[in-house]
Amino acid sequence: MSTPAINVGTPRRDFLSSIAGGFGSVALANLLGQTQSLADQPRPEFNGGLHHPAKVRRVIQLFMNGGASQMDLFDYKPELFRRAGEKFDPGTSERVEAATSAPGNVLKPPFELHQKGQCGRWISDLLPHLGNHVDDMAFLMAMKSRTNVHGPGSYLMNTGFLLPGFPSLGAWVSYGLGSLTDNLPTFVVLPDARGLPYNQKGNFASGFLPVTHQGTIINSSQAEPIADLKAPASATFITLDADRDGLALLQQMNRTHLAANDHDSRLEARIRSYELAAKMQLSAPEAFDVTRESEATQKSYGLDEKPTEDFGKRCLLARRLIERGVRFVQVWSGAGGPSNNWDNHNSIVKELAPMCQATDKPIAALLMDLKQRGLLEDTLVLWNTEFGRMPFSQGSEGRDHNGGSFVGWMVGAGVKGGTSYGESDPWAWRAVRDVTTNYDFHATVLHLLGIDHERLSMKNNGANRRLTDVHGHVVHAVLA
Amino acid sequence: MICGQLVMVGYTNLHRSVALMIASLLVGLAQLAVAADPVADAIDFESAVQPILQRACLRCHGPEKQKADFRVDLRQSALHGGESYAPNIVPGKGDESPLIKFISGTGDLVMPPEGDRLTAAEISTLRLWIDQGAKWPDALAGEVKDKRDWWSLRPLPTADSIKLRNVRRPSIDAFIQDKLEASNLKLVPEATRLSLIRRVYFDLIGLPPTPEEVQAFVADPATNAYELLVDRLLDSPRFGERWARHWIDAAHFAETHGNDQDRIRENAWPYRDYLIQSLNADKPYARFVQEQVAGDVLFPDDPQATIALGFLAAGPWDESSLRDIREDTLDRQIARYLDRDDMIANVINNVTSLTVQCARCHDHKFDPISQADYYALQAVFSGVERANRAYDPDPAVGVKRRNLTVRRGQLQQKGPTLLAELLAPAIQEQVADWERRLGSQGAVWRPLDPESFLSSDGATLTKLSDGSVLSGGTRPERDTITIIAPITLPKVTAVKLEVLTDDSLPHRGPGRQDNGNLHLSEFEIFVDGSDVPLALVNPRADFDQQDWGIARAIDKVEPTAWGIYPQVGRTHAAVFELREPLVSTAATKLKIVLKQRHGGGHLIGRARLMISDAAPPVRLDVLPEPIAAILATSSEQRSDQQRIDLALFQQTEDVERQISQLPIPSRVYSAAADFEPDGGLRPPPGPRPIHVLHRGDINHPRDAAVPGTLGCVVGLKSRFEINATAPESERRAALARWLTDSQNALTWRSIVNRVWHHHFGRGLVGTLNDFGHMGEVPTHPELLDWLAIEFRDQGQSLKQLHRIIVTSATYRQTASVNPEAAVADPDNRLLSRMNRTRLDAECVRDAVLQVSGRLNLRMGGPSDRQFDLQPGIHVTPKVDYTKFNLDSDLGRRRSIYRFLFRTLPDPFMETLDCPSGDQITPTRTNSVTVQQALALWNDVFIARHCEHIASRIQNESAANQLRQQVARASALILCRTATEAELDALVAYAEKHGLANACRLLLNSNEFLFVN
Repeated sequence: MSTPAINVGTPRRDFLSSIAGGFGSVALANLLGQTQSLADQPRPEFNGGLHHPAKVRRVIQLFMNGGASQMDLFDYKPELFRRAGEKFDPGTSERVEAATSAPGNVLKPPFELHQKGQCGRWISDLLPHLGNHVDDMAFLMAMKSRTNVHGPGSYLMNTGFLLPGFPSLGAWVSYGLGSLTDNLPTFVVLPDARGLPYNQKGNFASGFLPVTHQGTIINSSQAEPIADLKAPASATFITLDADRDGLALLQQMNRTHLAANDHDSRLEARIRSYELAAKMQLSAPEAFDVTRESEATQKSYGLDEKPTEDFGKRCLLARRLIERGVRFVQVWSGAGGPSNNWDNHNSIVKELAPMCQATDKPIAALLMDLKQRGLLEDTLVLWNTEFGRMPFSQGSEGRDHNGGSFVGWMVGAGVKGGTSYGESDPWAWRAVRDVTTNYDFHATVLHLLGIDHERLSMKNNGANRRLTDVHGHVVHAVLA
Repeated sequence: MICGQLVMVGYTNLHRSVALMIASLLVGLAQLAVAADPVADAIDFESAVQPILQRACLRCHGPEKQKADFRVDLRQSALHGGESYAPNIVPGKGDESPLIKFISGTGDLVMPPEGDRLTAAEISTLRLWIDQGAKWPDALAGEVKDKRDWWSLRPLPTADSIKLRNVRRPSIDAFIQDKLEASNLKLVPEATRLSLIRRVYFDLIGLPPTPEEVQAFVADPATNAYELLVDRLLDSPRFGERWARHWIDAAHFAETHGNDQDRIRENAWPYRDYLIQSLNADKPYARFVQEQVAGDVLFPDDPQATIALGFLAAGPWDESSLRDIREDTLDRQIARYLDRDDMIANVINNVTSLTVQCARCHDHKFDPISQADYYALQAVFSGVERANRAYDPDPAVGVKRRNLTVRRGQLQQKGPTLLAELLAPAIQEQVADWERRLGSQGAVWRPLDPESFLSSDGATLTKLSDGSVLSGGTRPERDTITIIAPITLPKVTAVKLEVLTDDSLPHRGPGRQDNGNLHLSEFEIFVDGSDVPLALVNPRADFDQQDWGIARAIDKVEPTAWGIYPQVGRTHAAVFELREPLVSTAATKLKIVLKQRHGGGHLIGRARLMISDAAPPVRLDVLPEPIAAILATSSEQRSDQQRIDLALFQQTEDVERQISQLPIPSRVYSAAADFEPDGGLRPPPGPRPIHVLHRGDINHPRDAAVPGTLGCVVGLKSRFEINATAPESERRAALARWLTDSQNALTWRSIVNRVWHHHFGRGLVGTLNDFGHMGEVPTHPELLDWLAIEFRDQGQSLKQLHRIIVTSATYRQTASVNPEAAVADPDNRLLSRMNRTRLDAECVRDAVLQVSGRLNLRMGGPSDRQFDLQPGIHVTPKVDYTKFNLDSDLGRRRSIYRFLFRTLPDPFMETLDCPSGDQITPTRTNSVTVQQALALWNDVFIARHCEHIASRIQNESAANQLRQQVARASALILCRTATEAELDALVAYAEKHGLANACRLLLNSNEFLFVN
């Protein structure tokens, strides 16, 4: 029993919500966590941004779980072909070490890369569909992590901290900007059908932000894709009529109670929460139903083929959700564990190729679809992973983790297509020029959303915590 | 070293800045002339220099930010501060001063990094000023304030010195009224008994009163009925179950590791039971804290005090970084620092309410906590890991084990006293006894000396001096090693394979796989060129990996094999008996084939073979050859050295036997220095060396840290005087004593404030774990201090603290807002009424269970896993809450006994703000969300229990008495009698949709979910 009378937000809002009496919708929305809880409010003249005009209003983040191999996919390094099989010697004083294995010899990418588009971006033959979109993409070619381990690495890329318990990017966006619709959750996560990623829900938790900002998991492969949207099938006593009549009586009881209890704003917020829940119950099933899409659309995402079916379905679902006002959708490729993801320790040939096959066509279809529908005008698409892989082999044909250099890209509103920022060393081992970090990446995403990353903060355990910790620079070079 | 005790207050006055900026423009122009003349007049700091610094540098090196720990608004920092280049200003040497190099672009850095650079004139002004001695007037030095001059760090006053305006005797109500009166407010009337009993039940025991308890209390004519009720609740075992959860939130306890390898901690629950028992037993707070930090060393004969160390290990643990990756990586070292950081935060945040972890990268910006202090705390925990720690629930067994362990240590160390003792008659008598009992069992393991050894797949094999064969070079996927060696015994009954550790192997082996494991597919022995292998029977190994037992090495099925994971980094052995003893001649040779066909590099790293002629069954541990040789010598002819060796062997074996006969110890997941190695997680060799890390960077270690603590508590030493060779536990003991010292005001203020928070929904200090400059200041400082002193000096009884709080008139007020107070004290900081609170997750769930009649009050033991558990793809298991059978016995106990899965917490509890254990959570948020409405309305837990409540009521009442049944449901759920109008509506609804649906409405009502 630990509720202060007033529990949310700033002194101003405390004041608003603490006076007995009726309340404006702002205070209620705040209590419900629908809009953010800062002194800063999204402003219409900023296109919904907090601190400056927003180019982007919604985000789809595609996360390649496991550490996608930069040199096999995008970061073409002739040196790896020239020196293939030789002992890896970067010619610097830095010690060569790997997280889970003894460093092997230089391993050349087993699949060829070719230059595509006007921009001449190198891209693997494993990604033929994505190759058609490189002129829309802005690449961070020299990203650097602080770790070579999945758990901390995934936390870092998602929450800005190596340790558990911090809010994820999607949670911060939800907290900062609030929702665009009453009908659906603000931050939605679409995990791989095979399971949750490393750190499970830790990667999309709300940390010390109110729990309403955490990612809502939608299991598109299951009969009940979202928890508690309707009464359980086992509860046969709950009929549709019982539901409808019950809600009406409950609200009546709660209003009587409210009048007798100082018109406490939290009591009022609870009444409102049931109204919103009812709206969500009506809208969500339609939003989740990808079979309402034309056959041609479903086909373009690869829903008719086994390898692309799961990821394609989730990309299509992401578009439907974004279209209906979900603010942030995170689509995961690969579950946790040692296989069926981008953590290709044993064999690049056998393990990377199927991941590319599963995602290449769906992502390309998503980009095309968003563009055709005009959604790219205010939507940002992100492609990320927690770190890269080593230029030398693990075993005979796999690669170990490498936080020293990796690649991410973005497409959409405010992004300068066809750019590549940053460069790694001749081995793609270490980022060396125009190096970017998770902090820079997050600062840039927030910037596009109209948020100054240094001003989106929450006080917790003695510190003003930010997504970007005490770091981060907006990477203007990739912005239009 | 004491650092960071001074806070410097710079000039931040806006008007002043603007004025100075204008001045700087004017002066800048004037300086053009000055710059041209090297022998100009003395540069005036205030008019010429300060404006430049303010304009160009202040944004990053001033009161807002102190990049590189350097600021230009304070003389002290400007002349002496800076992380890497201090001093940045070298008086008399402008050109050599880093500051000049940076602003002129001739140094390592270019300043300012963004925005307009300094003009040539400005640069030469600054250079000249430095050349002239960098004179900085005292009046402009910047105010310097002692950071220790802060409310929470001041010593607690004496009780007598706390002053009140109008009353003689201090009490909670006197302090509260004192403040209210100052705002022309007063306490509102006492709540009704109906409100009061529901409030104090949820508050103290986390359960609602039954209708019968409500009735009895309301009807109780005794004037002290409430006080008696409070006593009953404090005596109830339910009290500890309720309040343990508050500590669990703060300690961020959960029962899996978290992170990407979210493994279950099978032995975490004893700590939860420790908390419940300690709170129910009303353990004095100092002892409660001491046990959780150093109970093993301070109270060695109390098993509970060892279980208490679960506190240090309560938080998450990064198994990948701390167990699985290679020991020699930077990632491993970083993870260790971060892991200790979590322990430090858990102790210091929760016990002293200071946020020490901010000092990991730099001196604390706001509080008097230096980086050196922080790393002193790192050194306190540098000798422990998180692991399963053995303890004996029976203290007598514990004492016995400890004595035997000491004896074993003496035998291992072989000191002179011990050696003398071994020759004494008492011991020699024991040896003789043993020798008589030994009879003919003495047998020899004789190492084979390989004369050839071959790898089928290209590994490089080397023979070492002990006869073992080490595999190196290329690590093939699979391998078969063939060893040929002459036989040196006339008869062979058994063969022993030892797989040995070696520094060249991953995790020291004994396998070559990255994780140190190996898989022996088949073990075959041939004699003298025969191609028919000898028949082997009765295989045994000292350790078998689960599902990879030793029998699989002779089952003639290649895909199955023997493995030793996770016991890597240790030598293992397997023995195989020959079905028919082999009689040999000097010329007989054995060919031994070690097939390792599993793949993935699961190869033996170092192997040694031995043979024996002992009669079957041959034990793994038959006597070593030197001992057998001594025994072969008649006792009269033995030398003293031989007697000593024999006695040493016998005594060691005896101690080991006695230890092995003790009851198997229990285990608790806790901080531990000594534990069973688990893969790459091994007991530390002793306290690890700790360095102050410049900017928290592992690549920049600076001074070695000595064990200690914060320097900001007046009167207490901040560095512990502990011998470097002392066991690590001494360090924790010293910290425990510091924490609980009566002079450590932080500790006493912290705990009374924490308890206050959980009663009122808000602490006297709103930031429970931050009493520093960034935290809130107390609304009632005298009350806080008075409570702290009373608590500290009157037996440190938490129950007494609860009692005086909940029996106060302040606590007993109604929760209704009165109009004057709504204006004068809108946030109710002054407590002019009680706060209305929302039930937390545990209260909701436990109340529903109780109301349904299904609540099982069984206490303690392993946690109830309220989910379906399946093996996952890798370490993290697959957890599915939707598949849990709610009707099973595992679903009936109080929420404190739920299994807490860190990365996948129970979604129902989560929507009600139950924390996951990822972060220290001194206070919960209390959200009202759409997801929460959906959960209470539709979650299967609520739905199923609506049916249980309905059937309970129907079973207990006459049939067809719907109105009474609805009334009963209201009384059970709302703890009051429903009005006739309420009943009319609910009965009408129940008539149409059934009683269970009516229960669903009541459980979703605001009245149920909130407490007045």
